[in-house]
Amino acid sequence: MNIATMENATMSNLLGLNELLAIMPQLIIAFGIALSLLLIAWQRSQQMIALFTKTILVFALLLSVNLLAVETTAVTILLKVDSYSIFTFILICLSALVVTQLSSQFLKSHIEVHDEYYVLLLLVVLGAGVLVASDHYASLFLGFELLSISFVGLVGYIRESKYAVETGFKYLILSATASSIMLLGIALIYSQTGQLSFAPVTEISHLQMSSFYAVGMLLFLVGIAFKLSLVPFHFWTPDVYQGAPTPITLLMATVSKVAMFVVLMKCLFSQSYFVSENLVQLITLLAVFSMLIGNTLALKQDNIKRLLAYSSIAHMGYLLIVLLVSSQQNMAFAWQSAQFYLAAYILASLSIFTVISICEHQNKGASETDVQLSIDSFKGLFWRNRALALLTIIAVLSFAGIPLTMGFIGKFYLLSHATTGQLWWLVAALIVGSGIALSYYLRIVFVLFDRNENELSVYSYTSTEYVLINVFILSGIILGVFPDLIGQFIA
Amino acid sequence: MTEIPLEHVLFLSCILFSIGFVGVISRKNTLFMLMSLEVMLNAVGVAFIGAGSAWRQADGQVMFILILTLAAAEVAVGLALFIRMQRRYRSLDIDELNEMRG
Repeated sequence: MNIATMENATMSNLLGLNELLAIMPQLIIAFGIALSLLLIAWQRSQQMIALFTKTILVFALLLSVNLLAVETTAVTILLKVDSYSIFTFILICLSALVVTQLSSQFLKSHIEVHDEYYVLLLLVVLGAGVLVASDHYASLFLGFELLSISFVGLVGYIRESKYAVETGFKYLILSATASSIMLLGIALIYSQTGQLSFAPVTEISHLQMSSFYAVGMLLFLVGIAFKLSLVPFHFWTPDVYQGAPTPITLLMATVSKVAMFVVLMKCLFSQSYFVSENLVQLITLLAVFSMLIGNTLALKQDNIKRLLAYSSIAHMGYLLIVLLVSSQQNMAFAWQSAQFYLAAYILASLSIFTVISICEHQNKGASETDVQLSIDSFKGLFWRNRALALLTIIAVLSFAGIPLTMGFIGKFYLLSHATTGQLWWLVAALIVGSGIALSYYLRIVFVLFDRNENELSVYSYTSTEYVLINVFILSGIILGVFPDLIGQFIA
Repeated sequence: MTEIPLEHVLFLSCILFSIGFVGVISRKNTLFMLMSLEVMLNAVGVAFIGAGSAWRQADGQVMFILILTLAAAEVAVGLALFIRMQRRYRSLDIDELNEMRG
């Protein structure tokens, strides 16, 4: 596309009402960021900014739910809103809401007013919103960076924490390296195809010859794999998960992973990449290694956040299976499986991190800023608080994929996907990986009932936490027994 | 004026990128790591501008401007972290940052 036709395209694509409506959730978040800056200038109050952030997120959430029925709309050449991107944006807003709630509990114990924290949080959501809707490498890049740079700020946010500088620095260097690798990949792809949008390239047979294109695709994939923490590129994950404040770890496990995965899927599917044999093999390798190595390394972890980091590596490995579609027809089913699996993964993550965050709060002394929970600190949780223990069990079993949880249905989708595609290596790795995973997931469950401790103080929590816990328990059970409730949305 | 082939531009940018990458992984001083990151980003910029001029499009240059913005934002965050690191550890050596193990 040369400049003249591009001008034409932008002229004909002048934002109409439909297009504006389609990106309204993202616009609301952006508007909310500007407003919250004004709010900070007017009055600094922790409660007000937290409430404001939640209101903005709820608005964006409700609008997205309304938009679910809207057909695919291209908003300029940069963004394309379809039901997949809206569904994932709903998941993103939901997790951000829970993160905001947990953060306002978490930050209460600190003396300062933490306005910037909430602004950065909204920026992360905006970045994720741009990512899931992007249909062009430029918007992918913008969303990617909006997400990453805000995360650097959030990861090292608590100044008094022992690990803040280390975590922040590791994340900064690694995410900057990852994004420049991804950018070089985009540049090489662009140099061969002459277009930056995800639209399919016409002369694919000619392009397969060009080694620059292949290298570009490889580098692009490596950049995204860094963010998804797939196995050869996973080294930062446990450290950052451990060092970041718990709500931010949750944000990273949910929002960042989901947005990255969805944009990767959008990009690969719209280019019908599966004609390229090498890329398919590469993705298979990444998936198998992530499942096996992620689960194996999780076995010897004691710190609960590090354990979840390794388990998230394995989960992203499982999820890669849906990328390996054999033909155009399977794409709709691939999207359906991915959406269901992501929903299950997010619900389980939100549940387990709520428990961690409440337990951290209980174990915290007056002067401490760092609390590192090991698995042993869950010892006897069942006798301290039944609801928390129940929530932990539901979340952990859903991660492990035990029947009657959402995780089981999610794994079932992936397995049936792998068997229709006859990807036997992946099926084997999925089964072996889940087997290994059971041993550390069940360890958490057993520890809950351990009664050896002498004094077991009863955990107490606030009313909002009470609501949160009960909502998660109920939705975990109901959605596990009736998975069709979500199935309607994603069909 | 002789035309420079696109391959030469791409090779140049790949070489620059490798130099930056080696800098990031081998340097001990975090300031130099950040500078190497800038080299990597600018190498990508060269590739984009070369590709854009080969296709006679403005897209390559637009991407380069976006990359410049990114570089500025990254340095801003990086320098803020430097100041905190200097205060805490009295050094900019990356080996100081190894408290997390497991």
